[in-house]
Parts: sequence; C-alpha cells; structure tokens
Amino acid sequence: MPGPVRSRRSICSYCLIWGFRLDSSVWKHCLNRLEAEIPEQQLNTWIRPLQAVEGDQRLRLLAPNRFVLDWVKEHFFDRIQELAEQHRDRPNVVLEIGSSLPPEPGSAQPPAQTGRPEQRTRHEARASGGSNINPRFTFDSFVEGKSNQLARAACTQVAENSGGAYNPLFLYGGVGLGKTHLMHAIGNLMLRNNPRAKVLYLHSERFVGDMVKALQHNAINEFKRHYRTADALLIDDIQFFAGKERSQEEFFHTFNALLEGQQQVVLTCDRYPKEVDGLEERLKSRFGWGLTVAIEPPELETRVAILMSKASQEGIDLPHEVAFFIAKRIWSNIRELEGALRRVFANAQFTGSPITVDFTKEALKDLLALQDKLVTIENIQKTVADYYKIRVADLHSKRRSRSITRPRQMAMALAKELTSHSLPEIGDAFGGRDHTTVLHACRKVVELREADARLAEDYANLLRTLTT
Amino acid sequence: MPSSNADQLRQLALRIGWEPEATLEQFVAGANSDALAALRGELGSDSESLVIYGAAGTGKTHLLQAACRELAGGTSSYVPLAAASELSPALLEGLDAMTLVALDDLQAIAGHGAWEEAVFHLFNGIRARGGRLVLAARQAPSALGLLMPDLTSRLQWGLVYRLQPLDEDALLAALQNRARQRGLELPSEVGRFLLNRFPRDCHSLFGLLETLDRAALAAQRRLTIPFVRQVLGLS
Repeated sequence: MPGPVRSRRSICSYCLIWGFRLDSSVWKHCLNRLEAEIPEQQLNTWIRPLQAVEGDQRLRLLAPNRFVLDWVKEHFFDRIQELAEQHRDRPNVVLEIGSSLPPEPGSAQPPAQTGRPEQRTRHEARASGGSNINPRFTFDSFVEGKSNQLARAACTQVAENSGGAYNPLFLYGGVGLGKTHLMHAIGNLMLRNNPRAKVLYLHSERFVGDMVKALQHNAINEFKRHYRTADALLIDDIQFFAGKERSQEEFFHTFNALLEGQQQVVLTCDRYPKEVDGLEERLKSRFGWGLTVAIEPPELETRVAILMSKASQEGIDLPHEVAFFIAKRIWSNIRELEGALRRVFANAQFTGSPITVDFTKEALKDLLALQDKLVTIENIQKTVADYYKIRVADLHSKRRSRSITRPRQMAMALAKELTSHSLPEIGDAFGGRDHTTVLHACRKVVELREADARLAEDYANLLRTLTT
Repeated sequence: MPSSNADQLRQLALRIGWEPEATLEQFVAGANSDALAALRGELGSDSESLVIYGAAGTGKTHLLQAACRELAGGTSSYVPLAAASELSPALLEGLDAMTLVALDDLQAIAGHGAWEEAVFHLFNGIRARGGRLVLAARQAPSALGLLMPDLTSRLQWGLVYRLQPLDEDALLAALQNRARQRGLELPSEVGRFLLNRFPRDCHSLFGLLETLDRAALAAQRRLTIPFVRQVLGLS
C-alpha cells in the first residue's frame, strides 16, 4: 500500500466501549476499523456498498452484484471475519448477493433477500398502492400546448374509458417531452376513479429484468399472473425491447392476454413503432391496432407555460420575462428546461438574490455558452438548404418561386424559434429582408403546420436535426 | 462472474490510487462554494441527480469520495468509470439499492452503448427508489458525446455545476490542507514558491507534495525553500 500514513484515524471508538454498549452493531465496529486500514477509494468502491443485516449470531453482508462480492471475498473477507471475531457477539459472517430493500414497487420481482428492512427510503411514501404510479404526475400538472394536446386528449380518454377503443395506446416522441408524465397521469386518474384498480407502470427494462429473474427462480407463472391480472399495464420506452427476443415473446403473450381481456395497455417509445429496429413484426403490427399518437417538442409559448407552472409548484415567484428568457434559449426538451430552472432557483437560494433576467443570464452562463454554440442562423440555413436540396444562396436571394420561398420561410421560423436573435437580425441574415417579412414567414409556417401534414413533418424533422 | 475476470478486477484496484481521506470540510471550494452547497443537498430538492464537471484536478473525485463517506447515511458506492469501463456494465447492477451512488469519469463510457444503457437504467432505478446519484465528468452532459439522448436529457434534468479552477490563494489553502493531512507543515512562502514554478492544477501539485513529503520524512527535515529546491532539483 503506497504512501506514508501519519495521521490517519487508528482508534476505533467502538473498540473502546464495545464491552459496555449493547446496541453497538458488529458491522459498525468492523467499518470503523476498516476505515483506518483501507484506502478511501477502495472503501467507497467495495466496502461501503455492502448492506449489513445482523441477528441470530449472524452478520450477513449483502453485495449489490457479483463483482463486488468476488472482490470483497478475495481481499477483505478474512479481515472482516477477524474483526467480527473481536466483537462480543462473535457472529458468523456470511457474504452474499442481494439487498435488504424491498423490490421496487410495481415489479413482480420475487422478494429476493428479505432481511431486516433497515434501509427503507423515501420512495415508498411516494408510490401509491404498490403500483409505482408517481402521484405528482397528473393531468392537472401537465402543461398542455399544441405540441401535446392530441396525446393528452387520447390519454384522458383512455383513463376514463380504459380497455375501450384506444387499446393499445401508443405514445411516441423524442426524449423529455412528457410521455412518462402522461402515462402516470393515466394511472393516477384510473386510481382516482377506482382506487382498487390494479395499474402497473414500469420501464420496459424492468419487465425484461423481472422476466429473467422469474425464469431463474422458476417463478414464470407468478410473473405471468402478476402482469396479466392488471387492469392497466403501462410500459415505458419499449424501444429497449429491441433485440431481446425472449422478452418480446413473453411480452407478446402478455399483450394478447390483456387485449383479449379488455384490459388497457399503454406504451411509449422514442420513435414511431415501425421504425424500431430489432422488434418483431407481429409486435409492431399489434402496436398499431389501437391509437398511435405523437408528442412534438413544445413550442415557445408552451415552454414558457411549463416554466411558470413548475415555478408555482415550487412556490417561487418567477417573473414572466425570465421564463421567456429561458424558454427562448432552451428548446430541445422539457427535462433540460426544468434543469435550467432548477439551477436558477438554486443560485437564487444560494446568493439570496432576486430572480431577474441578468441574474438568470449569469446563473445559466455555462449552459447557454454550450447552447449558443449549437444553433446559429447560418447553421439553420445550411440544414434547411440541405433538407430541401437547394443552395444557401437561394435563401438569401430575391427569388420568389414556391420551391424557394417555403424553405426560406421555414428557415426564418426556425431561426425565431431556436435562436435569441431579434427579428430584424433574422431579416438581415436572409439577404437584408425587413422584420415584417420574418414575422409573416413565422405566421405562415404556424398556419401551414396546421393545414399541411407533410410540412408539419418537415418542420419536426428539421427541428430534431437542429436540436439533437 | 467467472474467475477469469479476477485479473481485470486487479487492474481496477490498481487504478484506484491511494488518496488521503477526502472530506467535505477539507475541500477548498474557492469559486465553487455553490457546487459544494448543492452537493450537501442545501439547494433545491434532494431527489435530483447532481452533475459536476470540469478539467482534471478541479476536485471532482475528492467531492465524490467525500459524498460517499459523509452524505450517504447508509450504503454508498463509488464507481471510477475510467477504470471500470474495461469491465462489464454488470458492475452497476444492484447499485440502485444504495442510498448514494457516485459515478466518476463519466466521459470514459461515452460512446459505449452497453455502458450508457447501464447508467441510464441505474439513473431510473435510483430515481424510483429515492436514492441519490452524483456524477462527475470532464465535460457538461450535452458535450459528452453520449449516444443515448435519453441519458443526456436525464443528466440535464438535475443540477449541473462546472467546477472552476482555484485561484492562487485557494490553491495555496488546498495545498496546505493536503500537507496538514499528511502531518506535514507547508509554510505559505514555500507553497507560493511551488505555485510560481509548477503547473497549477491540484493533481500536479499534490504529486509534488507527495514527493516532498517522502523526502522530508527520509531526511527528517522541515519544508523550507532551500530544501524544496534541493529535492526538486531547482537551481
């Protein structure tokens, strides 16, 4: 072991008093000694992850995984045994993989190692009725805008009328746009209407994990029963099923059983179902049996509304111009928007300063410096020109043929949406046009996105290309 | 894990160097006192993740180690991803049961699909269970070049702080703290002497200090400018 050690702790307070304290735990005693003997990083990587369960003359040490188990066994186990021997209880030390935590609510995970539940944490209070539904994500706390109103309407329908026409309900869209929020909102409303409903929310990974565990423990029938008796099964991020054939097979049967029983299935995915590689065709086609709805990135007004709503939830008075400042600069997803707001609040709390635009600019300077590099008007012009297979020079030109004006309007609208440039500046960047031309272009694009699905898709594609 | 991984594990252990006890109190915050307050959970809600990023030698590892030691109040796990990424992502399995998980050197796994996915699931698991996740990286989440936008957006969700390099006074204080921890007295003028002549990041400076400590111990000398000159071969 490298380095001279001159001033490290070498006295264990428990050793001095162990004969007299009945409640001093064996593991605390060992830990105190190990802290003095093992380098800090080793301790944090291998020893602190161990959960101790004591009782019946036994000290059970639970390692989170096999790596930790093997390493501890090889390097520290003998010493731990020696230390435990010194304790008046002289317990038998057992090292195994497991956790004394109850399994995550909502999962069908067999209760692996149930020791003394000394590690209960806050999450249990959060989940209602073991269904893993987060009570904070409701329809009321969901901020509606053009980009998500269809999805919201579909979800309300499903919650009020589950197992009906929209089965399965398939929500898709980019990251951080509120898919998970809507799923929980469905669950919360269903539970409010019928507190005894069995509503299960889980991430697809959990489904896969549970299935693997069930197979290992010969508990596949309980696994099946658990999921097939749900009134509603809400599975997030099904793109993670890709390439996992055995899980898809099991999910396929679960899915069919639920649909036959008129139990509701809601799924989310980061893209249109047909575009997920590594997913069986029969699953893809079934996903389309009900209703498939997209969630788009929120437009500026919705982003402002989201920030205002978030602030009022936190009981913080957020000036409208500050919300506007943030929303104007952060557009790609709601998580990032919330992260920025969180940072502004944290800085305000730390410095005790009022939240102004200048204060916000300072608080977000690192974040904005990164953002500013990402999207410029030039970048938008190039991307739009590439997309429509025209030249950037055409966007600057006076040409007024339809094949040029549409892309030009699109690029202007995107510049307004994605940069903090003023409209006159945007006009200048497009061959010295007037700011009213830019304003007209933005209005035109909003109008066309409503009327023309093809154009709406072009807009969404461009937005995605520019922001991810 | 088959025993063939034992060699890899040994590598991992070697890569985790020896460090004196890292405590929050000993951390010289300089311009980073806001990041320190955030780590202590004094700012905002406690259930969100925290990302600290910055150049080498700005104190990321120190903060993560200290968090494991002082803030977990239960089980905690420190995972040095730069060393761990040679192993299987299964190293992260079950860590969602910890009260606090600290992932260091996140940049080391950027672009490695299986690892990114494992961190993503760990993030979701910890969030679901109400534990705490603290991550450190060289760059901001959006600049890490992660393959999974799902992971990037989650990292951006919580608080994100850039650690600023320390100014001269703070560096001197950090150096003196470190020396004191080794049972070594570093007079200010000797500290400034070092700062004026060597790279001014904590890694290099602490390295120098280790050299000086060994020499002082061997020669039974106190740290003076002449002695430092002699040990470091400065004319």
